[in-house]
Amino acid sequence: MKSKKRSYAQFLSLPALIIYAIFFVYPLLKGIGTSLTDWDGMSTPHFIGLDNFTAFFKDARAIHDIKTTLIFALASAVLLNVVGLIYALLMNSDFRGKGIARVIIYLPAIISPLIMGYIWYFLLQPGRGYLFYAAKQLGLPDLIGNWMGKYSSSMKVLVFVNVWQFAGMTMIIYLAGLQSIPSELIEAAKIDGAGNIQCFFKVTIPMLMPAIRINVITNIIGSLSVFDVIMSLTEGGPGYATESLSIYIMRMCYGSRTGYSTAVAMILFIIILIPVLISMRLTRQKS
Amino acid sequence: MKKILATLLVACMLVGSFAGCGSKGDISAPDSAVPSGSNSDTQKNTSSNETKNVNLTFFTGKVETVDLIDSIIADYNAQSNGVKVEQEYQADASNIIKIKFASGEAPDVMTTYENEYVDQGKYLDLSDMNEWWDRLIPSMKDSCTDLNSGKQYRVCTNMTMAGFFYNKEIFDSLGLKVAKTWDEFESNLEAIKAAYPDVDPWFIFGEAWHLGHLIEFLPHGYIKAKYGAIAAKEAMLNNDSSILKWGDPNGAMCTFAKDLVELQQKNLINADVLTATSDNCIDAFVTGKCAMFSNGMWCLSSILEKDPGMADKIGFAPYPAFMDDGVPVVLVAEDSGYSISADSANIDAAKDFLSYLFNAENQKKYAESLGSPSAFKDVDANWAPESVVKGVNEAVESATNIGFTNEKPAGFSGDDAGRYVQDLLAGTYTPEQFAKAYEEAWNAGF
Repeated sequence: MKSKKRSYAQFLSLPALIIYAIFFVYPLLKGIGTSLTDWDGMSTPHFIGLDNFTAFFKDARAIHDIKTTLIFALASAVLLNVVGLIYALLMNSDFRGKGIARVIIYLPAIISPLIMGYIWYFLLQPGRGYLFYAAKQLGLPDLIGNWMGKYSSSMKVLVFVNVWQFAGMTMIIYLAGLQSIPSELIEAAKIDGAGNIQCFFKVTIPMLMPAIRINVITNIIGSLSVFDVIMSLTEGGPGYATESLSIYIMRMCYGSRTGYSTAVAMILFIIILIPVLISMRLTRQKS
Repeated sequence: MKKILATLLVACMLVGSFAGCGSKGDISAPDSAVPSGSNSDTQKNTSSNETKNVNLTFFTGKVETVDLIDSIIADYNAQSNGVKVEQEYQADASNIIKIKFASGEAPDVMTTYENEYVDQGKYLDLSDMNEWWDRLIPSMKDSCTDLNSGKQYRVCTNMTMAGFFYNKEIFDSLGLKVAKTWDEFESNLEAIKAAYPDVDPWFIFGEAWHLGHLIEFLPHGYIKAKYGAIAAKEAMLNNDSSILKWGDPNGAMCTFAKDLVELQQKNLINADVLTATSDNCIDAFVTGKCAMFSNGMWCLSSILEKDPGMADKIGFAPYPAFMDDGVPVVLVAEDSGYSISADSANIDAAKDFLSYLFNAENQKKYAESLGSPSAFKDVDANWAPESVVKGVNEAVESATNIGFTNEKPAGFSGDDAGRYVQDLLAGTYTPEQFAKAYEEAWNAGF
């Protein structure tokens, strides 16, 4: 009877299994195979072993792109969580227009990052962007600098736009976490003499740990594969200064180095896998 | 009941999943017997009766011609004997065609063309299509000729020119003449800056393709003018460093970089060079906020669309000589090229459609719509206002004509070159470092 039930369950899972195999397992295996070849996307591929992988670590542009991607991911993850938590704490308090404020903060998250990038591009263009004209009206024409034309400032712009867009999403998760903290706990801490700051660090933060964990990990994973916001704002420039690994993969693929680009995609897969494994381990420890 | 329903649903999903695995039905039955991958025309030739019910795919990346080509296709489909042409436009056509070739779904006719695809036998040899070649300007036939094989794998129906667009009113008000040397060019820019402090003497926009074109027309242009088209093409194809000298501190690349940085330091180019767009450039030119910019004829329609009154104010000049032994150059290159896939099962239909597209009446409409002179001798088109045509003709006659570099390494595109110029203008490189970095990237692209 039990084995009949199990067979039936296996039968029901078949469509999902087939879709998973077609759209994930097969491309992954095919990708691993391609990453070991010199395929240019057109002619017959030849097996070259691990040459693509060794070439990657000798490529200064690729190493620079790893650094850019990691800086973007870590800065975004930290700021997204700090800003998201501040938003959540504000939205958890009582004030008029809270509902509208929540919608306004969350709204950018439902717009495509590509569109958001172009909007910010036209806002920030030095000498001709909308913010420049607004600042000029206020008698501050030098307020908007050439931020997208320099590496140090263009990276800050990218992180800012990413945080501005997705802080609302982080806020929602924190808000859910805050609202699940029993008010009795806070009241008990206050009766024991804890101040607001002590309550926040000794009660609220520990109780928010599951939400912090989810937010940090998902933000890092999302930011490591960043593509669209960079393409629309800086196109990876000036030069290759803000080029992420995802953009590098795309450019190599269309630059007749398909085998190599697949190898880089495998490396990016491993880089993203690290926070995923840490997340899984932390979740298991918790349970 | 629930169990039965679940079982039926799962069964339906499984059937649905496998339905997609079936082979594609052959739409053009008469051609299905033709072996794929063969270049032999005789194997694929079908009589006019057999071209019935042929679906022909036409692939293009030229957004500006989509509507016109659609109307020509509609006329062709109405009169053709069962051949139905369908146009597919893709903004990223040069990349998407690669996927189509790789997946064996190459279109029958395409406007995309790359040397590496010629080497891989992806295009049909069109050398015997004398009915087309006899009508074409000889220099355009040369531009369509593959250097390695001496054969033609595409037909270019139009020409395009690139040089400096300048505001004749500003030039006339200051009594400036078109510069032949870089010193004259720089003194023109300085005069404009002194007389009109709010005008950018030379507007450069930061899009990679545009900055790549500066390399294409100036340092590459110098090589092409100095050694001649064929020798320069061979040097690029064989990466002959004794001619190219990209990394040489006294070479064309380093001199170009030094000149550009000097102009930037003197504020003779716009301050927002790295973030300005091509639209910003057209706006600045039309509103008199820039005196000149480098571009090709393809931007003419945008200028006239914004302000038809600009027709009499547009001047066109060659690129000045920036090397001691250089000469002024102007790009006169092939435009609107058409190729047929070597693997096409509808070769006769494809040739028939192209013959229709190439007839004088259609080409007159095409040249006037595109704003680009026709490469056919029997097409008399008013492709631009008379004053512009006169200025362009004078520029073309006064300078050495150069073509595009189709022989650059596959792994180093024009956009890649432009990104190095971005780095130069952002201050990442000195001119010497820029030249060295360019040389390394060029070599690595082979």
